[in-house]
Amino acid sequence: MSSTFNIEVFAVFVSLFVLFVALGFGASRWRRGDMNDLGDWALAGRKIGSYLAWFLVGADLYTAYTFIAIPESLYIKGAVYFFAVPYVGMTFGVALITMPRLWKLSRKHNYVTAVDMVKDKFNSRSLATIIALTGIVAELPYIALQIYGMQAVLTIMIGQLVTSNAATITEVALIIAFVILAAFTFTSGLRGAVVTAVMKDVIIFATVIVVIVLVPMYIGGFGNAFTAMATAKSHPVTGSYQLSGLFLNGFISLTIGSALALYLYPHAINGVLSTSSTKKLRMSTALLPIYGVGLALLALFGVLAYGATKALPLIHTYGPVTTVPALIYAYFPPWFVGFAFLGIFIGGLVPASIMAIAQANLLTRNVLKPYFKNITPKLEARLSKYFSIMFKFIALAFIFVVLPTYSLQLQLVGGIIILQTLPSIFLALYSNKLNKWATGLGWLAGQITGLGLLIDANFIVSHGTSITTVFFKFSTPLGFFYAGMIGILVNLLVVLVGSMVAGAVRPNAVASPGTSGRK
Amino acid sequence: MTTAEVGVDELSLETKGTTGQKVVVALLLLIPMVVFALTPLYNSKGPELFGVTFFYWFLTFWLFVSAALFTGAALLLNKMEGGK
Repeated sequence: MSSTFNIEVFAVFVSLFVLFVALGFGASRWRRGDMNDLGDWALAGRKIGSYLAWFLVGADLYTAYTFIAIPESLYIKGAVYFFAVPYVGMTFGVALITMPRLWKLSRKHNYVTAVDMVKDKFNSRSLATIIALTGIVAELPYIALQIYGMQAVLTIMIGQLVTSNAATITEVALIIAFVILAAFTFTSGLRGAVVTAVMKDVIIFATVIVVIVLVPMYIGGFGNAFTAMATAKSHPVTGSYQLSGLFLNGFISLTIGSALALYLYPHAINGVLSTSSTKKLRMSTALLPIYGVGLALLALFGVLAYGATKALPLIHTYGPVTTVPALIYAYFPPWFVGFAFLGIFIGGLVPASIMAIAQANLLTRNVLKPYFKNITPKLEARLSKYFSIMFKFIALAFIFVVLPTYSLQLQLVGGIIILQTLPSIFLALYSNKLNKWATGLGWLAGQITGLGLLIDANFIVSHGTSITTVFFKFSTPLGFFYAGMIGILVNLLVVLVGSMVAGAVRPNAVASPGTSGRK
Repeated sequence: MTTAEVGVDELSLETKGTTGQKVVVALLLLIPMVVFALTPLYNSKGPELFGVTFFYWFLTFWLFVSAALFTGAALLLNKMEGGK
């Protein structure tokens, strides 16, 4: 492409980024509350209605995972990674069952996080601390994935713009973007994320529709892409765009595992608790699968790329992580490329902000406060703001250190970890009969199993140096299974059997809710 | 706060509404989830739609269906809950 093309792309991108930053800072004035209060900074004063909740939870879910990781994985491995579509369909069913109940409990007892409930239900500070730390750790690879997505956009844009030092300039640009993000998260909190989420989603939706209509026309139909994918020789494992028998269970276990995991993430629960009523929460959740259509179309970009002969050289140069940006760059005018790239870029930034807010919340409220009783609400809010900055930069450091073969693995490793909090959060919503020791032991057994199988599959069986698979391979006919799913099954078994035994031996040892916390 | 007080709170979390309504809600929520989990049902190449193989368009189509069914469930649950 000519240099005027690339300068135009860059100019549009930067102009829209300035608008984005202005919106982010301006958001603190929106439905203004007391920003020294944690509930106000982190939950936007719990004033979010159905429409904005849709965008906010959407911003949590449709992230670089959607724009970068899923299309990349589909491009590399094929059909098995289309699991993301049934996953988003299923996960909102799970949310409709569990989340209104969590919302009511939280409003009643003034919980700001799910861990507040865990502490109350199990009457155990230690278990609450463990669950809080699990949430914090599981968010890190998810934030790192967002940064990978942003980096992918910058790699193409800057790689095409300058002739040398592209890698260094990209890194510097990423750091600048993060400093700006940290500043507006600090001042605007969740409000900043909600307001910018609307801008991000409008851009993304417009981009997806334009690309999915026009690119198949340019390449002579979707059928051509499927044919090209079938004849390409890069899918030795999964068998191209059809699911091979060995991967049926892999597909199903990834679907169910991810569907159960999503609403255990602190940032998703944070979004839920910020809505203004259960009715609005239900309506916005029920409509979220529509948002998943965008995800499905983006996933198909991973197939479309095979037929897009103008985009393939770019993908080969910059790597499959750039599948979506490469398609856009190769087929569209510069103003549109700049517009779409900005959408993908802030599609990573906004969720990173939401996730860091959720982590910061957990750290101050559920890890530090129980041990340092003299933290005032004002100090609590203040600490959270600083921690949100810290977590963003930990995640940023993460991507300069950890090198996954492809970005989706980061999120799926986070999934293994967060899934093990299912008994403490989802089961505890419904049952008071869970024993805290059994639940803690189940958590441990689940983590050891899930992460153990992950380490086994990547470093012991295949002697790899990075995480390339999240599957454990049983002998045929069972085939591949998501390690997180095996972990949670072991976990549940320990929790249920342990609680039954404990309940039979010492009926008083089971959880009795509400005896700790607020007097 | 005593355990007994929380117990009362828990009771107020009970879903209101008739058994019939509860069954309908359960079905509306479960149907999409079961369909999504029955992977062998849709793991095929044809029939194609706009050149896209069955596996891909069927799953995408079911996102619309699940949104419709979930919305039905949400409306019914909101009605059962009462209030404004």
